[in-house]
Amino acid sequence: MKALEVKNIVKQFPNVLANDHISLSIEKGEIFAVVGENGAGKSTLMKIIYGLYTPTSGEIYVFGKKVKIETPEDAIRLKIGMVHQEFMLIPRFTVTENIVLGDEPHRGMIFDYKRAVKEVRELSERFGLKVDPTDKVANIPVGIQQRVEILKILRRGAEILIFDEPTAVLTPEETEDLFKALRRLKAEGKTIIFISHKLKEVMTIADRIAVLRRGKLQGVVEKEKTNEVELARMMVGRNVVLEIPHVEAKIGKTVLSVRDLTVKNKRGIIGLKGVSFDVHSGEIVGIAGVEGNGQAELVNALIGFTRPVKGKIELDGKEIKLLTPYNLRTKGMVYIPEDRKRRGIVLPFRVRENIIMGQHTLYPFSKNGILNDSEINKFATKKLEEFDIRPRNIHVRGGNLSGGNQQKLILAREMSIEHKFLLASQPTRGLDIGAMEFVYKKLVEEKKKGIGVLLISLELSEIMGLSDRILVLYNGEIVGETTPDKTNEEELGLMMLGLKRQERVLQ
Amino acid sequence: MNSHTLLLLNSTIAQTLDYAAPILFAALCGVISENAGVVNIGLEGIMRFAAFFGVWGAAIAKNPWMGLLWGIALGIILGLMHGYITVKWAGDQIVSGIAINVMALGIGTYLLQAVFKTTGYSPPVPYFGAEVNRIHFAFLKHIPVLGAFSDLTFLVWLSLITVILIHFILYHTVLGLRIRAVGENPQAAETLGVNVFKIKWFAVITGSVSAALGGVALSLGTLSSFTNAMPMGKGFIGLAAMIFGKWTPFGALIASLIFAFAQVLQLLLQSTASGVAKMIPLGFYLSLPYFLTIGALIGVVGKAVAPAADGIPYKKEG
Ligand SMILES: Nc1ncnc2c1ncn2[C@@H]1O[C@H](COP(=O)(O)OP(=O)(O)OP(=O)(O)O)[C@@H](O)[C@H]1O
Ligand SMILES: [Mg+2]
Repeated sequence: MKALEVKNIVKQFPNVLANDHISLSIEKGEIFAVVGENGAGKSTLMKIIYGLYTPTSGEIYVFGKKVKIETPEDAIRLKIGMVHQEFMLIPRFTVTENIVLGDEPHRGMIFDYKRAVKEVRELSERFGLKVDPTDKVANIPVGIQQRVEILKILRRGAEILIFDEPTAVLTPEETEDLFKALRRLKAEGKTIIFISHKLKEVMTIADRIAVLRRGKLQGVVEKEKTNEVELARMMVGRNVVLEIPHVEAKIGKTVLSVRDLTVKNKRGIIGLKGVSFDVHSGEIVGIAGVEGNGQAELVNALIGFTRPVKGKIELDGKEIKLLTPYNLRTKGMVYIPEDRKRRGIVLPFRVRENIIMGQHTLYPFSKNGILNDSEINKFATKKLEEFDIRPRNIHVRGGNLSGGNQQKLILAREMSIEHKFLLASQPTRGLDIGAMEFVYKKLVEEKKKGIGVLLISLELSEIMGLSDRILVLYNGEIVGETTPDKTNEEELGLMMLGLKRQERVLQ
Repeated sequence: MNSHTLLLLNSTIAQTLDYAAPILFAALCGVISENAGVVNIGLEGIMRFAAFFGVWGAAIAKNPWMGLLWGIALGIILGLMHGYITVKWAGDQIVSGIAINVMALGIGTYLLQAVFKTTGYSPPVPYFGAEVNRIHFAFLKHIPVLGAFSDLTFLVWLSLITVILIHFILYHTVLGLRIRAVGENPQAAETLGVNVFKIKWFAVITGSVSAALGGVALSLGTLSSFTNAMPMGKGFIGLAAMIFGKWTPFGALIASLIFAFAQVLQLLLQSTASGVAKMIPLGFYLSLPYFLTIGALIGVVGKAVAPAADGIPYKKEG
């Protein structure tokens, strides 16, 4: 039986044709993956199915019946549920409150919290999605938050579950757990639509895979009859080489020197403990580690967001006494953040504004405090071309760009600022392979130009492929230093879990 | 405890409750409306309108209850206005609030002249503070603290009941859960099928009615007339009380009591000042409550957290 069918769906945004006559038909009880480059129109299509966007034209059939889905309420009624790319949770509410919101157990007007907790507990057991119903959502890890999202839609009786890049924010272990849950849901007869950029994951979990490119459906393939290389080619329209060409590092002088850096995290606990290391010009230093082992604290100290408890940071041979973002950036540091939307761009600003941020006070973009529009536009147009940012329109708002294009925008901005040191913190999070390849290429180019790069990543393959030197961060300390040719992913994995340590001698 | 200190204690508490009522109503307006994500700085203006129309209604009907009804009606009308701009059209909440305040300033002064033919204040009208309208519990009179509750006005009791009511709504009803959800993350609420606009409308109008009650408490509580200076920043102090009280009804109650006590204290200090204290200018005493407000805000503001989507207009995505 067909669970969901869409026919000739078109969605025209003011600047882009996000969906161009897409027709899909999804069987009940299958895991159906949708892949495609950043901006291909995956999220748009899902939002249409969930009633968040109104399609320009096209038809939707649910369990054989033609339907109109104008609001999420309609979708819920039709037993469609969606786990969004950005979680739709209320951090200050408890797990229970988040799950029952909108359909609360009640006695008259009164919200029956006790019964709600009981219901959530039963639900969580029934689907094997473990949560503590009375925890505040703000205090639980991302993986569990996602379970809350899933329970939320299951409670509404969802038969068709849409997951928009559910694994982008998960650790490998959490991803494993999610896949177990998905298989269990499938066994219960639920239909699952799964969006991801990680083709390896898609090949693991999906039954069939649809490929979108620039708003058009490229084709639907069965998992058994395809492979990652073919999928990548369909997505991008050409062969993708994710193999990172090895470029011998031409190591120069020290551009970043960190000594005995100790930093507190948001909760006031020491998250980084006396860390020392150097980055030289012309090399990429990779920081490997499981999320939450001091990466955030390191980044925040390096960009001047949190003042370290103690320690010293030198940029280009000069100690930065007062660690503020301004001081660091004017002394030659640029930064690619892990959280694009919060740190990378100003969502309501246009591309042309976002792309000069940080240089907006400088000639030629402004003179005597007055912005020079034509110079800005010229610059923005040039960068859009150079970094292949789509759509090629400098007036689009940052928030309306797809994730990959937002990242390219940041790259374009940061790399065109004069700098000696680049801090790249999870620069490929949520990016499609085409964009990933692009980021890798840019990082290697930086290295060739003699820039010192510090790469923080949770992806071991990325660390192994790009780094000239690898530092392993565990529990706020550097527990090992090695090079890609002297180690392997297994050994790194052991160090990342704190099961193996290496003595380091700092030269 | 001798009878003199007992009397002083009870009357100080009673007076504090009296002064607190308008501030508290204003604070509760903020609590309910901002918990649904709508800032309403127009409450100062709503109080002014309601204070005037309350007096007008009471004057015509020769009955404070009619004044109360007129005040509430004004609250609903102004709530509809604020809601129309900020909820229906997702307009700027501050601008809409300022518009209400400016309007209240001009129209209030004009109406005072047009209706009562006076400039400074209206003639006295029947009010809730009059002996016959007060609520008496004679048996409480000689008990310390409780004695303060032996002779209060209806509006003071109403302000206290409203605290409990709003607390109950916010934290124990389905509606309250949805109000808070809308103030924290309207998108999330929407995707769960909560009607965000309906909730916001409800909160804005209920809040405006509360602010209107505050206005009536000013002009028909212990006073029996409208003065042109009303509400003298009581609405804004109410907003401060809301922040100080961390957007909760009981927090707002405590904060309102503190601010009101500062006012009572100021009167007490003024009347008992002797020697050197007499040389302190009157202005100092008068400004004491306001300084306290600022001080309280500085002390607490770092810790207070507004609802996450407070003040952000909500529009449905295209
Ligand atoms: N609300 C909007 N207004 C205007 N344009 C939009 C809007 N939402 C998306 N777009 C545009 O539509 C296109 C498709 O975006 P969509 O978010 O569907 O991509 P995606 O495939 O989900 O990408 P990603 O993998 O980066 O999440 C993009 O070019 C994007 O800029
Ligand atoms: Mg997307």
